[in-house]
Amino acid sequence: MRRLRVQLTVLLALLGLLVIAWGATIFLGARNTALSHASLQSTIDRLDQLRRRAAELEAKAGDVEFCQREYLLTGDPAALRCYQQRRKEAADLLVSVHALAAPWALLPPAADRVADAYGAWGTAVQQELDDRAASGARMRWTPTSTSRSRHWFATLRTRQADLDDLIGGLQHATSLSQGSTYRDVQRLALVTACMVLAAVTLLTIYLRRAVGAPAVALRQASGRLAGGDLHTPIDLPVENELGAVAGDLETMRWHLAGRMVRLQRLRDLSAQVVGAPSLQALCEVALAGIAPEVGAERAALGVVAGNRQLQLRAVAGFEHPDDAFERLVKAEDEIRAALPLATLRRGRVIHVTDAALESLSGPVQDLLADLGSGTGTGAVALVPLKSQGGFLGLLGLFWSRPHRLDQEQETLLGLAGNQLAGALAALLRYEEAERAAGEARAVFYGIADGVVLTDPDGRVSALNRAMEALSGWTEDAARGLPHAEVLRVTDGGGALIPDEDRPHARAIASGAPVSDQGYDVNLVTRYGREVPVAVSSAPVLDHLGQVVGGVDVVRDVSREREIDEVKTALISTVSHELRTPLTLIHGFAELLVLRDLPVERQRAAAEEVLGAARRLARLIDDLLSVSRMESGRLVLERHPLDLGALVEQTVSPFQAMASRHTLRTRITPGLPEIRGDGDRLAQILTNLIGNAIKYSPEGGEVLVAVSHDLSQVQVDVHDAGIGMSAHELGQLFEKFYRADRDEVRRSGGTGLGLYISKRLVEMHGGRIWAESTLGRGSVFSFTLPIRGDGDDA
Amino acid sequence: MKLLIADDEPAVRALVHATLEGDDYVILEAGDGVEALEVSRNERPSLVLLDIMMPRLDGLEVCRQLKADPDTSEIVIVMLTAQAQDRDRDRGLAAGADDYFTKPFSPLALLDMVEQLRAHSTQTSA
Repeated sequence: MRRLRVQLTVLLALLGLLVIAWGATIFLGARNTALSHASLQSTIDRLDQLRRRAAELEAKAGDVEFCQREYLLTGDPAALRCYQQRRKEAADLLVSVHALAAPWALLPPAADRVADAYGAWGTAVQQELDDRAASGARMRWTPTSTSRSRHWFATLRTRQADLDDLIGGLQHATSLSQGSTYRDVQRLALVTACMVLAAVTLLTIYLRRAVGAPAVALRQASGRLAGGDLHTPIDLPVENELGAVAGDLETMRWHLAGRMVRLQRLRDLSAQVVGAPSLQALCEVALAGIAPEVGAERAALGVVAGNRQLQLRAVAGFEHPDDAFERLVKAEDEIRAALPLATLRRGRVIHVTDAALESLSGPVQDLLADLGSGTGTGAVALVPLKSQGGFLGLLGLFWSRPHRLDQEQETLLGLAGNQLAGALAALLRYEEAERAAGEARAVFYGIADGVVLTDPDGRVSALNRAMEALSGWTEDAARGLPHAEVLRVTDGGGALIPDEDRPHARAIASGAPVSDQGYDVNLVTRYGREVPVAVSSAPVLDHLGQVVGGVDVVRDVSREREIDEVKTALISTVSHELRTPLTLIHGFAELLVLRDLPVERQRAAAEEVLGAARRLARLIDDLLSVSRMESGRLVLERHPLDLGALVEQTVSPFQAMASRHTLRTRITPGLPEIRGDGDRLAQILTNLIGNAIKYSPEGGEVLVAVSHDLSQVQVDVHDAGIGMSAHELGQLFEKFYRADRDEVRRSGGTGLGLYISKRLVEMHGGRIWAESTLGRGSVFSFTLPIRGDGDDA
Repeated sequence: MKLLIADDEPAVRALVHATLEGDDYVILEAGDGVEALEVSRNERPSLVLLDIMMPRLDGLEVCRQLKADPDTSEIVIVMLTAQAQDRDRDRGLAAGADDYFTKPFSPLALLDMVEQLRAHSTQTSA
């Protein structure tokens, strides 16, 4: 994997070498050029000098020639001296030329030849001069020597020209070689530069291919990763460090993608569990969501119940869920004992493996072995469900084969547990709310008092059964109507109570319950009837204390009011009825004790005391009879008896008392014997006859008639008294009923007589009724069965 | 001295009779309110003992009518009733009654009261 580094090192080394070579070439070329330039220059300079010396020599030779000729012609000694002088200088030049020509191989022979020619020419010239000297002054020239000198001078000239040519050639060659050196150096520099360029180009291409493109691809890939794209695989077919980086990135992407998938599943799980409508559904959804991740096949959901104990609430994944549920519930105590609850409460997922399973208590182990429908249980995981710090329950997961959770699965289960706990908390709250709502509904509809619920706008939102019965409105008809329309109330005088004075409005305004109990309030029903009611109202408050509606509780107090009236009447009646005999007893007794009365008056007073005492006793008897009848303690003592005789016996004391009335009896002959309680039948007769006398204050006839047919005996008590209206007839036999008329009010009576009579007749198996015309009198009748098969009790 | 006892209960009338008998009292009787009113107007008794709960016309009404009529307003009216609550007493006095006896009453106290009344009326008339 160090390939890139090696390649780069090699390439850079190569490039360095090339650059070094290039530099060296340039350096060396420059140096060579510089060096060759100096030597050539000196060669050229020396050749130049040589050429000048050769030219001087040539000129000197001309001078020598000229001076010699002058002397020959003139014989002038000065010319001779000139000659000699020039000759000496020419010899020096010759030596100089020779010395200068030495470095070149070609030149010395030519110089030698020039020297030779010069020597020969010099000799010839000297000869001429010597000849001259010999011939004297007459002859100016000697033909032989002159021609010789002339020949050699010509030769000298020729040879000097050759030397000059040679020097010129050498000069040319030198300048030529200088130019070629420059060209060589330029070429070399160019070639190395091209090579460096090529190397750099190659390096660039290589870098692009091996580093640049993969780096760009990597950058794109990392950009995609950073941007959240975990789906596009990172594939970089480069076998170097970058390739390795790409490989690592791909691994990372794969892990991340896997994690994302799991997160997504968790999120899906969360969404599903949140929508779960029941604990059972929650358990199933949880198992379905978790199973693909960890492989568990079955699940059980335990929830901490109101008593702080963990209770099994749902199972999922079992072949026979009902059976499994039952078995788990049966073993609940053992399971609870085996659960490491403390650890679970801390929120730790607990994994019970094969070995740990075997250490469990016998019943739990047996249960676990059985649960998987024969396949047994290989592993159990316990996932605590905690929400907002509270331990809500536990999800148990079961594997039929041994299974070991890895770190990631454990983390995942922990997270799933959190999601489930949230949903569980919501479900439990919902269950609680449902239960509370159910209770409230049951109370609302089941309560015996009428209840009206109103919304914040004061419109009826619900009406319970009692209110329907009381008001005549049905819930459907009343819903949405203004509250005041359904719950119309009037005061004692029959005037509608204005809205703002009702308990409802006052309760809403004050935010506190208001009760109207104790006032005379009547509810006007849908059909206009008025029912006495007690109304309590309360505002419905939300959690912020804001009024969001109202509730009215309407109690039908007609019964209470009736009882109240009856009670008042009873107390008044009883007190009056008690006081009257008491007054007599007290009064006459006082007279007897404190005053000296004649004997006959004493007797009369004592009789009054006695009568009053009897009356008192009767009243108390009546009250006791009612009490005993109502508590079922009154038992008839039935014997065969003659009703005719009983009637006669009962009527006779009245004949003495009622002076204004005519009492008559009419008993049909052949009256059959009946079975009955003589005392009770006498009580009935006394009561009816007493009433007949009491309610016919103007006097008149009171007739007691006894007749019979095959099955029954009938007794009729006729009077010509005040009579009764039909309405009064209807209520006549009710307890404490007394007609609301002055005549009745002013006359004494407990209101118990007819009630007692009716009960007694019915206990005998008979029937009692009355017929009457207001102002004309009444007939009270009762029948008794002849065969005496009535109620003995 | 003439006095009227109005009570629907004959035994009570008999008791009043027995109490006042032998002392020169002329004792008139009435069994109901209407009768009491008639007797009062016709006989002008000095004293009327009035029961409240009577048939036809109650004692309070009788009292009111007697006190409203200038001819009979001088008659001393004593309510004699089994209605013993303060409320009833107030109602009786409001109707114009001069005194109020609740049943059961002491005949001797009644006698005392009547005797005083007679002494008083004898003084004023003398």
